[in-house]
Amino acid sequence: MKSRYKAAKNVFVDSIDIDDYIELNSSVTAYQQLQHSMEKPLKMILLFGRPGTGKSILLNRIQEKLKHQKEIYYFDTPAPTEKEFFQKLFKVLTQKELPKNTEVNFSSLIDFCKSLRNKREIIILLDEAQMYDSEIMEKIRLLSDTRAVKFVVSLHKTEDEDLIAKEHFQSRIWEVIELKNATKEDQTAYVHKKLLKKNLFEIANSIKPNDMKLIHKFTKGNYRECNKLMFTIFEICEYYDTHEPSNINYSHIPRKIIEMSALKLGYIHV
Amino acid sequence: MYDIKPLEAEWRAYQKKKKKPYYLLILAIVLLTLFVVLLYKKNIIFDAYLNQLNKDSAILSSKKNISSQSNVLLNEGLVRLETLNSPDKEAIKDVAKKNEILVNIPILDINEKSDVVDDNRKKVHLNIIETSSVSAYEDVEKRFHQSHDIDDALFLSRSYYKKGNYDKAETWAYEVNKIDSNLEEGLLLFIKSKYKLGRKNDALSILKNYLKKSNSEEAKNLLSKIENNKL
Repeated sequence: MKSRYKAAKNVFVDSIDIDDYIELNSSVTAYQQLQHSMEKPLKMILLFGRPGTGKSILLNRIQEKLKHQKEIYYFDTPAPTEKEFFQKLFKVLTQKELPKNTEVNFSSLIDFCKSLRNKREIIILLDEAQMYDSEIMEKIRLLSDTRAVKFVVSLHKTEDEDLIAKEHFQSRIWEVIELKNATKEDQTAYVHKKLLKKNLFEIANSIKPNDMKLIHKFTKGNYRECNKLMFTIFEICEYYDTHEPSNINYSHIPRKIIEMSALKLGYIHV
Repeated sequence: MYDIKPLEAEWRAYQKKKKKPYYLLILAIVLLTLFVVLLYKKNIIFDAYLNQLNKDSAILSSKKNISSQSNVLLNEGLVRLETLNSPDKEAIKDVAKKNEILVNIPILDINEKSDVVDDNRKKVHLNIIETSSVSAYEDVEKRFHQSHDIDDALFLSRSYYKKGNYDKAETWAYEVNKIDSNLEEGLLLFIKSKYKLGRKNDALSILKNYLKKSNSEEAKNLLSKIENNKL
């Protein structure tokens, strides 16, 4: 027998699928702020926040929305080597594949970018930029100086964040957009909207404000943690629904199940 | 989801841990309440005990006062009387004979004594003679006329009886009886004195009347002695 909770569980599989994007007050604000910054004559924009605050999905979202209006590219994971990174960049800038057994000459690339000034406006969204080494970051800075390429750099808010900012961007004109963990209200809206998007109205309705209070407490408003917790909650619900239906109440999610999920994920301990 | 059972067990342990502070709090409140209740009860008992103790001590102290008062009076008398029986009696008498100095000291005055020593610059033997002298008893009698202290009267009666002055012993026993007719010693002294004065019938009549309302062993003994002429 297929449990009603199976579909609910799958709603919270963590992904940066643009279809899963949920418009919340905070995310709309961040989106508008980023879009506005991209229209300014800025060379670099810094987007940062703790892991799971929605940076990647925001970059995806903006790329998806603006791809028909602007020349915008999304670099999801950093290339393992500098060579591969510039090959990727070469392809974006020249719209051509780099011939085999050749390497990108950085000076030539700079010159090429300068030649593009006022002809093309290229926006490159660099996700997980904290993984680039300082040499690549310096070259990215030099490329942005040509004003032909605009970079949106997405960083995890870590202890090194200030260091990276200081070393690579301090002398540049750049704007900072910070994404924060969700408030309880935002998180409630996030969970409900995600379920309603998949027509799981009854299950969305079974999550009461007190449940959301507890979920927010455990996840501290982090979207990724929220996805993990919700997935585990519905996984446990699915088990009970299938094996011990007497232990499940369809009208609300038992607190016991939320706490069991929190124990499983290590938010709380015995 | 295959680990649901261990997870349930973990959750139960978590619940126990979570509720532990509440249980401890409840336990603490219960213990505190018990402690307060016990303390309150103990206070009540303790107060009652203290009250009882206070009453007892009050009774005891009043009794003590009575007895100590009489002791004081007796002792005062005895200071004078006991000098008669002191171990130095013979020596004192010898010295008195030799020096012909008779010092009647109803109440010892240390300053006077030291003055005597200082003035004469030689060893002076203080002659504490028997204060059965009339003046010593007169002092007590004077004091009685001022204070009407029953112990003084009793002392005088007892002393006179002992000395064989039954007339005066009877008079002072009568004084005792006037002050406290229930004081057995005074009454018995009165009876004994009467008997000694040859008024056996009077003595028996008074004693028998007394025995009608008293069960005193001493009185019974006295009756037996008087009847058998063994007093």
